[in-house]
This record gives sequence, C-alpha cells and structure tokens, in this order.
Amino acid sequence: MSPQTVFAPWEDPASKPLIRFYGVTKRFGDFTAIDNIDLDIFEREFFALLGPSGCGKTTLMRMLAGFETPTEGTIWLDGRDIGPVPPNKRATNMMFQSYALFPHLNVRDNIAFGLRREGKPKDAIAARVDEMLRLVQLQKFAGRKPHQISGGQRQRVALARCLAKAPRLLLLDEPLGALDRKLREETQFELMDIQEKTGTTFVIVTHDQEEAMTVASRVAVMDHGKLVQVATPDVIYEAPVSTYVADFIGDVNILPGRIAAQDGTRVTIDWAEGQPAIAARTRLALAPGSAAYFAIRPEKIAISAARPEGAANAVAGKVLDIAYLGNISTYHVELPGGQVIKAQSANTDRIAAREFTWEDAAWLSWTDAAGVVLDR
Amino acid sequence: MKTDFAVLTAAVLAATAAAAEDVRVYNWSDYIDEDLLTRFEEETGIDLIYDVYDSNEVLETKLLAGGSGYDVVVPTATFLQRQIAAGVYQPLDPAQLPNLENMWDVVSDRTGVYDPDGTYSVNYMWGTTGIGANPDQVAAVLGDGAPLGSLALVFDPANMEKLAECGVHFVDAAAEMFPAALTYLGLDPDSKDADDLEKAADLLEAVRPYVQKFHSSEYINALANGEICVAFGYSGDILIARDRAAEADNGVEIVYNPPKEGALMWFDQMAIPADAPNPEAAHAFLNFMMDAQNMAAASNYVYYANGNKASQEFLNEDVIGDPAIYPSAETLENLYTVTPFPARAQRVLTRLWTRVKSGT
Amino acid sequence: MRRLAVIALPYLWLLALFLVPFVIVLKISLSDTAIAIPPYTPILDLSAGWDGLRDFVADLDFENFAFLATDDLYWKAYLSSLRIAFVATVLTLLVGYPVAYAMARAEESWRPLLLMLVILPFWTSFLIRVYSWMGILSQEGYLNQLLMGLGLIDQPLTILNTNAAVYIGIVYTYLPFMILPIYATLEKLDTSLLEAAEDLGCSRMSAFWLVTVPLSVPGILAGCFLVFIPVIGEFVIPSLLGGSETLMIGKVLWEEFFSNRDWPVASAVAVILLLILIVPIVLFQRNEQKQREAGG
Repeated sequence: MSPQTVFAPWEDPASKPLIRFYGVTKRFGDFTAIDNIDLDIFEREFFALLGPSGCGKTTLMRMLAGFETPTEGTIWLDGRDIGPVPPNKRATNMMFQSYALFPHLNVRDNIAFGLRREGKPKDAIAARVDEMLRLVQLQKFAGRKPHQISGGQRQRVALARCLAKAPRLLLLDEPLGALDRKLREETQFELMDIQEKTGTTFVIVTHDQEEAMTVASRVAVMDHGKLVQVATPDVIYEAPVSTYVADFIGDVNILPGRIAAQDGTRVTIDWAEGQPAIAARTRLALAPGSAAYFAIRPEKIAISAARPEGAANAVAGKVLDIAYLGNISTYHVELPGGQVIKAQSANTDRIAAREFTWEDAAWLSWTDAAGVVLDR
Repeated sequence: MKTDFAVLTAAVLAATAAAAEDVRVYNWSDYIDEDLLTRFEEETGIDLIYDVYDSNEVLETKLLAGGSGYDVVVPTATFLQRQIAAGVYQPLDPAQLPNLENMWDVVSDRTGVYDPDGTYSVNYMWGTTGIGANPDQVAAVLGDGAPLGSLALVFDPANMEKLAECGVHFVDAAAEMFPAALTYLGLDPDSKDADDLEKAADLLEAVRPYVQKFHSSEYINALANGEICVAFGYSGDILIARDRAAEADNGVEIVYNPPKEGALMWFDQMAIPADAPNPEAAHAFLNFMMDAQNMAAASNYVYYANGNKASQEFLNEDVIGDPAIYPSAETLENLYTVTPFPARAQRVLTRLWTRVKSGT
Repeated sequence: MRRLAVIALPYLWLLALFLVPFVIVLKISLSDTAIAIPPYTPILDLSAGWDGLRDFVADLDFENFAFLATDDLYWKAYLSSLRIAFVATVLTLLVGYPVAYAMARAEESWRPLLLMLVILPFWTSFLIRVYSWMGILSQEGYLNQLLMGLGLIDQPLTILNTNAAVYIGIVYTYLPFMILPIYATLEKLDTSLLEAAEDLGCSRMSAFWLVTVPLSVPGILAGCFLVFIPVIGEFVIPSLLGGSETLMIGKVLWEEFFSNRDWPVASAVAVILLLILIVPIVLFQRNEQKQREAGG
C-alpha cells in the first residue's frame, strides 16, 4: 500500500482484519446488551463505536479488553480466538473513562506499571517511560502524583500508560468525556497524531458524534445492541441507512411520506397536503404507496426571498425562528401545513445586512440529490 | 401513764424515723440467705440496700478512696487490720449491740489478733484454706492412698507432675499460698522474713509448671464440672463446688480437707466505716445478724462456720456435723492465723507471687 | 464571643476528661504511700495557703519512677504488652482484612446487613462475650467437644488460660475496630483501578497486592492503631482468658493498685504507660490527617 492510496482496507477483500466479531451476543440475565454482532476491524484503523448510553458500545469494548466474555459467538484477534484469554494476557490495552490512574503511584510509575509486569530490564523500562513522557509532553510532571496534575494532564498520562506497552490494539472508553470543549478538540487531534505516529489500531467508544466524525477512520453506530451502520464518517453523514443514524449524527430534517412513483433512481414522494411531491434520487427499489422518509441536512437547503428558478424542489413558508451561531444561521421555516423545516446558510455578510427576519416569507429549495430517501 | 405515753411517742417517732432511713450493706457475693434481708426490713422498718463484691482488694480500694457510702462492710480480717490503721472504721457501740453476748470466744480470741477486743468488728463467717479434691480422679493418677489431706499433695512436685494430667488450680492469693508453703517447709507460717518468703516462692515455683491456673474463684466451677481434680483454696468455695456437683448429679465427687500440717484460718468481719451515713441502722443490722437464729440461718444457707456460739444449737446437722465446716477440737488446735503484711513486706510478697505465676 | 465559646468547648472537654485526671494521676505518682484515706501523702492543704502549697510541692519526688527502674518486672511487662499487642494486631489484621474485603466486594444491597453483623456483638456486654469464650475454649468446652466429636483430636486441647486464648479473645473483641476502617477504604476503591491493573498485565493476585493493598493502607493503619493502642493496656481479656504466664502491664498495674495498695507506684506505671502510648497515638493522628488531606 503506497502512501498515496486511500486507507480503506475494509474495501479490499484480500486484507485480513485484526479483529473479527463473529456472531457475538452478550446477555446480562434477561437483558441482551449485544445482539448477534458481526464486525471486522482492520490494522491501523481508528474505529469509533458510537451510540447513546446503554446501546452496548461499552460492553463491546470490554469484551475486547477481556473484562466480559461473549455469551455466544467468538472474537478473534490476529487470527486467534481470544475468548479464553484473560485481560492480562491480551495484546490490548485500555484507556478508562475515569483514566483509572493509580493514585498511590506518581506519573512515571503509572506509565511504567505495565512494563514492569513484563519483567523487562530496568533501563529498558526507563527509556520507554521517557519516550512516552516525551510523546505526551509530560517530562516535567514525572514525579507528581495524579491528584497533583490537571485533568488534561491526567488524560495524557492515562494515554501514555496504555501506549507504553505498544499494544496491538488500544481501546479508549470515552477518553475525552471529562475534558472541556476546547481541550477536547485539541486532544482529538493529538490522539489522531499519536495514532498515526505509533501505527496502533485504536477503538474508541464515544457518545459524541462530532468526536467520532473527527477522529475515526470508520464509525459503527449502535442501537440496542445491534450495529445499525458501519461506514466511514462521510458515508454515515451523507448516506445514513436509517432515520436513526441520520438523526443521531448531525442536524437533519426528516419528512415522512409515501412513494408516489419511481423511475430508475428517480423517485417522487408525497409528503404533505398542498405541497408538491419531493423529487429525489435513490438506489433503493421502493413500491409506490409504501411508507418512506426523506432526510435532508439543513445546510443543503437554500433559503431565498423569491422562488429560485429551476430548483428541483421548492416550498414556501414564513420564518419562525432564527438561530444565530456566528458563522452560520439556522432558519426555522413554517410551511402552511404547519411543518417546520430547518435551513442553514453561511453568514457571509455581517448581521446588520441579514436578508431575513422573523415572520418574513421565504422560499426553501434543494436539488434532487441533496437528501436521502429512507425506508426505515 | 404519762411516762408510757412518752415512751410510746418515742417509739412511734423512732419507727417513723427508721421508716424513712436505709442501711447500705456491702458484702461478698453469694454470702447470705436472702430471706434474712426481708426479715430485717420487716423487723426494723429500715430499708436495706444490699450490694456485693468479690474481692477484698476492690472493697479496700473503695474504702481507701473514701466516701463509699456503705454502712456495713465485710472485709477479711487481714485486710481489716490495716484498714483500721488507715482510719477506715468507727468503733462499735456495745450499747447498741446486745447480741454481742452470743459470740464464740474461740473465734473472737483469734480475731483479736487483727482487731484487739473486737473494737471495730464482729465475726460474720470463718473458715480455713485447704485442699479440695476429686478422690476418683486423684486416685486414677496417683493411685489409692493419695495424701488428700496433706500439703504434700500440692507441694510435692512428684505428686503435682501427675496431677497436672487431671488439672490443678491454686487460689490467686499470695496471703493464702505463702503461709501454706511456709508450713510445708516447716517454717513459721506468719513469717515476714524475706529469706523465708524466698524459700516459699522457690517451693511454689517448683510446682508452678503443673498448676493450670491461679484464680480467685474459677476453681469452684472447674472442680464442680470435673475439669480439674485438685484445688487449693477457701473451704467455703470448695464446699460450694461440692454441692454444685451433687446438685448437677454429674458423677463428680468433691471432698475438702484442711491440711493436717496446719491450716490457715480466715475470718470475714462485719465493720462500720467511719463515714457511714447511718451508723445507728448499721448497728441494728449487726445486732440483727448476731441473733442466734438469724446467724444459724445464714450458716445453714452458705455452709460456712460462724463465730456465734449461741447459733450452734440452731445449725443443721450437715453444717455443725461436717468436720470440713466445723473442724474437730483437735484440728481446731492445728489451725493458725497470720498477721497482715506491712507495706514493704507486702510488696516483696506481691513481687514474689508475680514471679511464681509468670516466671518474671 | 460565641466563636470563642465554640472553640473553647472541645478544649474544656479535653481539660476535664483527660488533662485533669492525668494531672491527678501524675501528682499521685510523685507522692508516697501512707496508711490513710486516701493512701498517699502529701495531700494538698489549700487552707494553709502558700505555705501549704510549698510544703506540698517540696514533698513530691520521682522515687516511684526510680523504683520502676530497679525491678525488671516493669519493663518486661511493658515489653510483653507491646509484643502481645503487636502479635494480636497482626492476627486481627489477618482475620479482619479478608472479612472487610469480602464485605466491600459483596453486593451493595447486602452491605448494610453485613455491616450490622460486624457491629452486632457490641449489643452484648463485652464481659459476657469474653466469659462465653471461656465456655468455648475450656477443656470441656464446645471447641474441644467439637474437635473430639469430629475425631480430629483424642485429648482435649489446653487453650484456655494460655496466651493462645488471650490472642483469640483480643482478635474476637477488637475485630470490628479493624474491619470497619479497612472496609471504609476498600468500599471507596474504584474497581476500574483493578481492571486497569489487569489490563496492564497483572494477574488478579498481583493486582490485589499492587493496587488494592497499597490503596487500603490508610484503613489498615487506622485499624491497626485502633487495635494496638487499647490492647497494650488491656486487662480484662488477659485476666479472664490468660494464664499466669501472660504478663501484661494492665495486670501489673492492677496488682500495684489493689494488692500492694501502692497508689503512687501504680500511678507511676500508668504515667509511663501513657508516655509509651503517645508514640502510636501521634502516628495514628498523622495517618488520619494525611487521609483527610488526600480526601479533601
């Protein structure tokens, strides 16, 4: 693989996955946390498990670490069934949500903890710890105890500690949850940087869709123990497979309706009385009359005072609300039937020169390729 | 008529006054027939508050600290003597004690060593220190003809080595054990001489490895349960053990013998603290107890000999007729008393006793 | 003014319940024995004014302390008490730690019940509980009956009236004081730390030694001090369960006070005992302080 080629081993049938979940189910009593999951994760991937709390993403990760065993199915790492391997014998390391730094050990000893268990020579351990301290820029804090450093520093110690053993697979459980927004964004890039430098495979659990989009090579969206969609961030965003995914990631307008007609990839959807049918494109084969959802991101809807010429879709309404976010504004436009559609536009002019205000009549328009048609 | 009226008034007043007062008695535990307490209250109209202790040391510490609040206490004569010296007691008023005439000179002559002329105290009970044994168990380890009535049983290491198999307790009281050891060695049981005491300690140390426990009262249960076969202790305690075993009908038989080489006599004396809140009521209690029938009732209940000559005709046969309680005249000859230890000798004695018990 | 009162109150308490009794004991330890009520001299005669006070002070001396040095009994008793307290503390720790550990690992809904069971013995008189051990440990006691019934032994074991019985009594009596502080630290222990240790290559066992034990050190120390300090002066357990060879300073103190009626020497023994206890008490306080700082 040359550096120029796009990193996408999942599209190459010849590449072997590092991790393979094979029909994995996990039950806690009556509760099914993981429901018959098949999943491949490849070497050097930054793989994100995304979903609301209770969706099973943490359980999936804990099964990789060895803290839970599957009720059914097998998990393979490097072509080996790791079901019977205890956590301390796995080539995986985990960064805990709470960081789980040992409060009785200083930063250096925390980082050295895993290395010492391997019985490596002392100077080798010291060298590796120094390397890790440099990597996370904590050389000056080596002698401090965890309670004597800041939250961000603690997070970096936790990262250094699990990287020190150069694991085949690094598991990150909501690693940035405890940080404030600015620090979190910085750290996200730092994480990607480190992942690239070390070439380690990362699996990250998060409920923060932005974080998943930013760092991940692929994202798995989970719901009630099932994988709903596994794809690259852009596919997840632009081509969600269900309203659940579309709704979970980013802002979206979901317009329920019925298929009026389909001609190849072209489809028209009746969705509201008195409104023209939505023209859209889809690869799905949909029977006329069946229920369907049209999902469209607000930034893909244009707002204008006059009806735009030649627009595939255009509806009229009045501005109900404007959310000014600085760089962009979101307009909530109410249609005569009472439906509210959100449209976004970049604030290229200063606020005083804004085109619309409350109660103004406005036209919304989008192309036939701007939204997705979903059958669930 | 007028006089009668005055007497009557005085009597009524006295009765009224008495009804409002109470007397606090502090005695050894398990040491009285409780019917006597009710009878006293009925006869005198004085409320009786009865409290118990189980060591002379505890009693003494309360008395020496002052303000004990008790009207009548019953220390052992050796303790009584130095308490008198410390000014703990008030002299008795013979005018308030008509029953003094009932007392037995055999006993009061001997208690005179501690309290000359009985100025401060009258005898309640007395007994000896000796050997309690379970004849069956002793015979099992020593064979028939073991010297149950001799100090050799407990001071000859050859005997003790074998007796250790069935268990031996000594009473944890240096003032009892040293005189016995001195007697066995042929020395003066009352010796306060440091060398003599040292010799007695050596003797005790020689048999110490075979003694299971030194305790002030535990040998009562241990003997009665058959846990031990020999105890050197107070006659009364060993007789209690004998009776308990008989009541339990557990096949354990206990006999008590004062050592034939000579046995130490002990006396528990009734006395009135100098700061007694109600000395009149205290005298009334003493006089009540010195009544021949009352004293006999007490002895019949606790199986101890008392110092009351007049009471003897009311004693049950199993009390007056038991030589373990009322020794024969010739044994009586052989009984001795000891004088209390002065402070310095007491320290030597305690120290030696600690050495015997703990090896330190 | 009110703040002053609030601050003064605990000090008054300390003054009344510790300092005043201690000064009295100290004063007696500097006096001489006498056949009197109370059995020592001199007595402070306040009616004589300054002269009385001067005479009083002039009569005080340290001869009772000097006396303690002349007899090896005393330092041997102190040493023996320290040794017994040390061994008993270690034994209590060995029994108490697993119990505390099991409690902290038990399901949360069970913990209040388990805690209550630990405290339950306090609902019965301490004396009765020690007495009942006499019934268990004696030659004819339940333990021997059980062991002989099971055929494990032919001859009854002599346990009562030996040091072994003293240790059993101490471990039994002081166990809650060991369990509760250890439980408190273990219960707070974040289980993700153990998972992290396992994740980094520890077996369950080594995670216990490298993480659980070091993190429960404050509880272990608190428990050990809470057992060690009172056991040094323990009197009841050795006198009821111990044999004559059980030498403890509490018993020596009792004998000085009751058998010898030597209140001054007894007080001197008590003063020295207190001085010995100050060391572990200060260490204990420091441990508590450190824990508070770490917690805050």
